[in-house]
Amino acid sequence: MDSNLVQFKKGVLELCVLALLARSDSYGYDIASRLSAAIDMGEGTIYPLMRRMQKDGLVSTYLVESSSGPPRKYYRLTEGGRNNLNAQKAAWTDFTRAVAAILELDLEKTS
Amino acid sequence: MNERDSFLRRLRSGLWGLPRPAIDDIIADYEGHFDAGRAAGRSDADVATALGDPSRLARELRAEAGLRRWEDERSLASALGVIVGVIGLAALDLFVIMPVLIGIVTTLFAFLLVGLVACLGGGFALPFALVTNFPGFMGDRLQAALLSLGVLGGGASLTAFCVLFTIGLVNLLVRYGRAHYRLITAGSNSRLRD
Repeated sequence: MDSNLVQFKKGVLELCVLALLARSDSYGYDIASRLSAAIDMGEGTIYPLMRRMQKDGLVSTYLVESSSGPPRKYYRLTEGGRNNLNAQKAAWTDFTRAVAAILELDLEKTS
Repeated sequence: MNERDSFLRRLRSGLWGLPRPAIDDIIADYEGHFDAGRAAGRSDADVATALGDPSRLARELRAEAGLRRWEDERSLASALGVIVGVIGLAALDLFVIMPVLIGIVTTLFAFLLVGLVACLGGGFALPFALVTNFPGFMGDRLQAALLSLGVLGGGASLTAFCVLFTIGLVNLLVRYGRAHYRLITAGSNSRLRD
């Protein structure tokens, strides 16, 4: 994978996790499989990230009994996580809009 | 031995040195991942490949644990933890940073030693200066006392400066380490198969 692309993806990974959890609580496997399809990353990456986000107070965890096997650890967005999501989302939207505008400008000049 | 056990074993051995509950917690995450994968109808081999290299995962988890400890508690041990953890990440440009880092740490240590010695020497000389004349010292007692006090104060501030500088340096290392986490790519665990 192109190393620039890796840096981009790393940067938005946390934002994507926050956005997923804002819709509904979820467990590690579910988050990993949904994101790895979209962002093309190793599924194992999610656990160090979740651990970090939990310590940062962005997410909290609770256990849910599952029909098969041991209880599952679910992640829920905290108040801090929701604020963080809104801030990051606003920053992301502003940034991508600015970049898109510059790229478009470039296209018009060259064409 | 199947892929699941092999993955978990390599992860566990890579996490060696972390507190026991932390290791169990991490292992439980990945066991749950395999279980969920099975429930979704995927083979253990498939899940292990998608997870990525367990050694790399372990290095990252360890480095993060080291950085956390430093943020919770400023101590010499946790500062060492940061240094060891960041080196463990084995980023390529570490070869550039390493000599610089060694130079800075050595200088810092020398200054710290001088500061501590001056501090001790000054503190030791001060009470003697108050009660007796130093043999071979040209000034009077007041001068001797002030001189001792000066050495003591200078040593103390040099030591304090070194400590502050060290804290700043380790904080920089933390940022460097965080910037070097990589996305762990799937399928890089070919060693799992042998």
